[in-house]
Amino acid sequence: MGPETEADGEIVRAVLAGDRERYAKLVERYRDRYARYAARMLGSADAAEDAVQDAFVRAFDQLAQCKDPDKFVGWFFLILRNRCFAERRRSRSEAPLEAADGVAAADRADGGTETAERRRALQHALLELTPDQREVFVLKHVEGLSYGEIAERLSTSVPSLKMRMHRAYDKLREQLREHT
Amino acid sequence: MSQRVFHPLVKLLLDGDITLADLPAELRREGEEAMRLLGAVDRRPVKLPEMSQRVMQAIAQRHERSTWRRLLEPREIRVRFRPWLVAPALAAAAALVIWLGRPEPVATPAGAVVTVRFVLSAPDAREVTVAGTFNQWDSHATPLVRTGATDLWTATITLPAGQHQYAFVVDGVRWVHDPAAPAVDDGFGRRNSVLTL
Repeated sequence: MGPETEADGEIVRAVLAGDRERYAKLVERYRDRYARYAARMLGSADAAEDAVQDAFVRAFDQLAQCKDPDKFVGWFFLILRNRCFAERRRSRSEAPLEAADGVAAADRADGGTETAERRRALQHALLELTPDQREVFVLKHVEGLSYGEIAERLSTSVPSLKMRMHRAYDKLREQLREHT
Repeated sequence: MSQRVFHPLVKLLLDGDITLADLPAELRREGEEAMRLLGAVDRRPVKLPEMSQRVMQAIAQRHERSTWRRLLEPREIRVRFRPWLVAPALAAAAALVIWLGRPEPVATPAGAVVTVRFVLSAPDAREVTVAGTFNQWDSHATPLVRTGATDLWTATITLPAGQHQYAFVVDGVRWVHDPAAPAVDDGFGRRNSVLTL
């Protein structure tokens, strides 16, 4: 099997056997995918970068505890998720709206279109949701996962996720009323 | 002001279970509002091109710190003093060295220092020291201290990496080597224990 098609489990086992540099392959494989999740969860690209880096380092430190190396990415996601939730708890009182502006900075650079304004408003509104509500919204509507996939990833049930999401819809509608 | 909640059918639309055309006419406007909400979702990728390098650097730095911590953490050399195993005239002499924690075999960089804790179990001793190549065999230079009301005498010292010879000195006269550790003849009829760091 060539290096490009190397399975996650194969890389994890090699790293655990002492080939530390191979871990960079996993980072390259998943960094951007999970950077977007973290950016939408935290409302800040900078905070997302720190969270993703920290999660990868923690995952490396705890790699021996990854019970199924073939499911590395699901295990890594839970580490990143915990990191994002902890970060939101920590920074709850630290001007979350400014963080949302950070995500929208690229839009302003593009000329501040109406689309950019709607994106910015939605990102503000997302940060007003509970972390659980925000997460299910991000996983479904940003990452494009189905309820079934989210339920599997978070070890929960589809009805419970739907209830969370439907509350999120109502809250977002309320938050965005002046933009509609 | 009451909260404006989406109609359950509009929530199905948001979930992707139905289309706008499936909504009854009176819900179309609300449905369009819902679709505008989804239209504002930012799905643009977030690129972190430097991430691999940063992560691997952070891992390397942590590994380096961890290696030094292992080198600098005290290793324990525990010696049980068993006077009943030897002739009373010698009054001292058997010792058993037990390495606790089994230090991981790590490459010791040139110039590194290692902190070592010597522990001797000697219930009847009044004074214990350790003498060796690291203190010019000065039997007064490195005293062990009795730990509370126990039989244990301890001394923690920092030694340069490399090989050292040593022996315990009990009550200033009884030289105790370690029968469980490698030993060399000192040329004067006694055995010195060898410690390799």
